[in-house]
Amino acid sequence: MKQALMLKYIISFLVLIVSFSGFSQVKDSVSHTSPYGLRLGVDISKPIMGMIDSNSSGIEFVADYRISKNWYIAAELGNQKERTVEDYTTSTSKGNFIKLGLNYNAYKNWLDMNNEIYVGFRYGTSIFDQTLDSYRINTGSDYFVSNTTVTSIATTDLNAHWTEFVLGIKVETFKNLYLGFSFNYKIMLSLKQPNNFKTLYVPGFNRVFDTETGFGFNYTISYTIPFVNK
Amino acid sequence: MNKNILYLFLFAFIFSACEKDDICLSPTTPKLILRFYDTSDPSTLKAPTNLSIWAEGKDTLATFKNVSLDSVYIPLNTNTSQTVYNFKTSTSGNVADNVYNKITINYTTEEVFVSRSCGLKSIFNTVTITSDNGWFQSFMPNSITTIDNETSAHVKIYH
Repeated sequence: MKQALMLKYIISFLVLIVSFSGFSQVKDSVSHTSPYGLRLGVDISKPIMGMIDSNSSGIEFVADYRISKNWYIAAELGNQKERTVEDYTTSTSKGNFIKLGLNYNAYKNWLDMNNEIYVGFRYGTSIFDQTLDSYRINTGSDYFVSNTTVTSIATTDLNAHWTEFVLGIKVETFKNLYLGFSFNYKIMLSLKQPNNFKTLYVPGFNRVFDTETGFGFNYTISYTIPFVNK
Repeated sequence: MNKNILYLFLFAFIFSACEKDDICLSPTTPKLILRFYDTSDPSTLKAPTNLSIWAEGKDTLATFKNVSLDSVYIPLNTNTSQTVYNFKTSTSGNVADNVYNKITINYTTEEVFVSRSCGLKSIFNTVTITSDNGWFQSFMPNSITTIDNETSAHVKIYH
């Protein structure tokens, strides 16, 4: 009983010390500046995917501009061509896309580090074409096997508008040079469909799921052109 | 805060693993549904005995080989505008008792998109059916505007 009481005192005392030492950490007499500027980069996952998967080719440029301690204006701009092979259809989507929005850096940097763990929001839009390359009628039976019809039924000037939630990290590897990874979840706002077919893939949005949602990621190398240090 | 972000990442990845539109579950190209009725009592179903069905020049349909059913469904050839079917029945099961009937179905096909995984199906328009003088006493109707579903019988056969 006595021992338990003793232990209680010791623990209380330790807690007190720790909490005091925590307070003293808040005061930092040295002020560090961090760069504000335009950061430009490229998604290196798209060319790599293009080499691995012959059905996919595209490029994406990324940019952001720091507007306050934790907020950045962010944009992605790109072009994508994607061939979608399904059991009964093969189709190709190609076109340009742009995404605009904001990132919020939730990472508290130590001293003069400039890393980020961020959450973001984007509005995205794409103008694209989709071509039905070939199809085979789904007969629902194998008694009569349907012929594969090779066509090039193209629907031009399709468009899509969507929103994105972004989660990502950026790490400064050399002075002003960043490596980044981000993942995004997309919700379609409006999507133009071709006649008697469906938009299966939208550049920038990627595969359009039945629920009109999509997923994406990028792996970027970017460089900050510093304007000022604050 | 950092831990929360990690959870969000995890959550997002779990979400991305679900691809529920990968399996075709919607109805595709409809089959022609036939029901057999008693010619002497036209409101009563009557199953032919030892019924076999095959398209001209093809093997017997696996599901309809020496069966006794009052309702059958047969696929139509979507590559052509005509399908010919043979129907065999036998009261005893002996080959000597086999009787035959041949029907010819003419139609135009229309391709209709279903979904990503199901692709396109065919529906059949301006369908006309003719029969030779086999064991079918009569059938109705002999023309159908469009066959685009399998919800009910398309043709009643009296025998």
